[in-house]
Amino acid sequence: MSPPSGPPAPPAPAAPRTRVAVVDGETCDACGLCMPLCPPGAIHMTRRGLVVDPVTCTGCEKCIAPCPVGALEMVDARG
Amino acid sequence: MRAVDVLVVGGGPAGCVAAWEAAAAGAHGVLLIERDRAIGAPVRCAEGVGGAGLREFLDPDGAPWVSRRIVRVILVAPDDTEVRLAESDVGYILDRTRFEPALAERASAAGAAIRIGTEAVAMARSNGAGAPWHVTLRGPGGEETVAARVVIGADGVETMVGRWAGLETRVAARDMESCAQYVMGNIAFDPDAIYLHFGPSVAPGGYAWVFPKGEGIANVGIGVVTLRSDGRTVRRYLDDYVAHRFPGGTATGLTVGGVISGVTVRRTVTDGVILAGDAAHMINPLSGGGIINAMKAGRLAGRHAARALAEGNVTAPNLQPYHDEWMRLLGDAHLKYYKIKETVNRYDDDFFNRLAREVNHIPHGKRTLGRVMASALVHHPSLLPVAAQLFLQEFC
Repeated sequence: MSPPSGPPAPPAPAAPRTRVAVVDGETCDACGLCMPLCPPGAIHMTRRGLVVDPVTCTGCEKCIAPCPVGALEMVDARG
Repeated sequence: MRAVDVLVVGGGPAGCVAAWEAAAAGAHGVLLIERDRAIGAPVRCAEGVGGAGLREFLDPDGAPWVSRRIVRVILVAPDDTEVRLAESDVGYILDRTRFEPALAERASAAGAAIRIGTEAVAMARSNGAGAPWHVTLRGPGGEETVAARVVIGADGVETMVGRWAGLETRVAARDMESCAQYVMGNIAFDPDAIYLHFGPSVAPGGYAWVFPKGEGIANVGIGVVTLRSDGRTVRRYLDDYVAHRFPGGTATGLTVGGVISGVTVRRTVTDGVILAGDAAHMINPLSGGGIINAMKAGRLAGRHAARALAEGNVTAPNLQPYHDEWMRLLGDAHLKYYKIKETVNRYDDDFFNRLAREVNHIPHGKRTLGRVMASALVHHPSLLPVAAQLFLQEFC
């Protein structure tokens, strides 16, 4: 929000990526449904189940609702 | 470095048939790899197939991989009104833990090598368009890089082969059905019928199903496009459905997974790469049926791989006939079905309830799926020519 007076705020930089998806390994069944839904391909199948690469994740949330068991959630990105 | 003519990634119906056909068509050095420790497991599927499509590949009579022969289809409206159709030869509910091994045995007998517990973890082209792909495999014996002249990506909805090869295999949320299924016992139903339960309150964008595995035991599942859902996960949709339909039932197994209900990807081939089955979105978008589609695609993929190898030219233009033949065989039909699905998705519960009561006035012997669809589509006459046989061809 711009302040009510003063010079106009500079244009906002590209929306900062404040939230990323994470997989709850306890809940995830490793079905892979979320992988083709991820635009940047940030979700990977590993020997220990599915993981989201927090660097590649854009926070678009397209993977969240379709997960059959609700194993994906958004968290605040660190650093 | 080990070199193979054909590397098939994924030991499902598409991959097993692709390896079988490639070897049978004369390709030497066919290797099939499967990430899981068993071909056919874990099952992520309702396991139903149409009889005609199945018989093109294997004879189901007396086969140990058949759980149940199905002779009836029962459509169910949101208010539980049942419509028993008059079809008589519908199909089979498979035991996929036995079915895929039977396919893999055929591939092996034809000359293909099979490695389980082995996944592809990276893939890069060694040197220009005609050169082999170098695919890094990780298995029980560690990592190994294999040079493959043709890679058949039969690696399912999560395909990495497609991604590595630069083919567009991403899925829009509106085209992804989230599915959950229980194996349920202690429930009452007609063990010779499949039940398909429609309506946006039951399964928005999809349907719920009961596919018998035997008397009193069935796959009970549901597919939902969550963009259309009311915020529940599909697991919750399933629990609510089961509580309503089978309150005394016992769930003994849970399966979840995604069914892509879009249309075939625009490009299924590139230099030295063919995608087949779910990896290429080769699924009937109305029924969600993928098994027979995958097997037919695998057959084409194996044959075209062998042909291109024999011709000494595995570049994209020489693999393109695979894509074209698939589109003529089923891909173009899926485009039509997709349009029908978009129409069906506009109907509300009340429409399905009224339709069920209306078609139940048709005498049972004449109550075919075609008649029901004709009634359903009376306000959309342009859809009539493609109305029949949609689920019966293949319904898993």
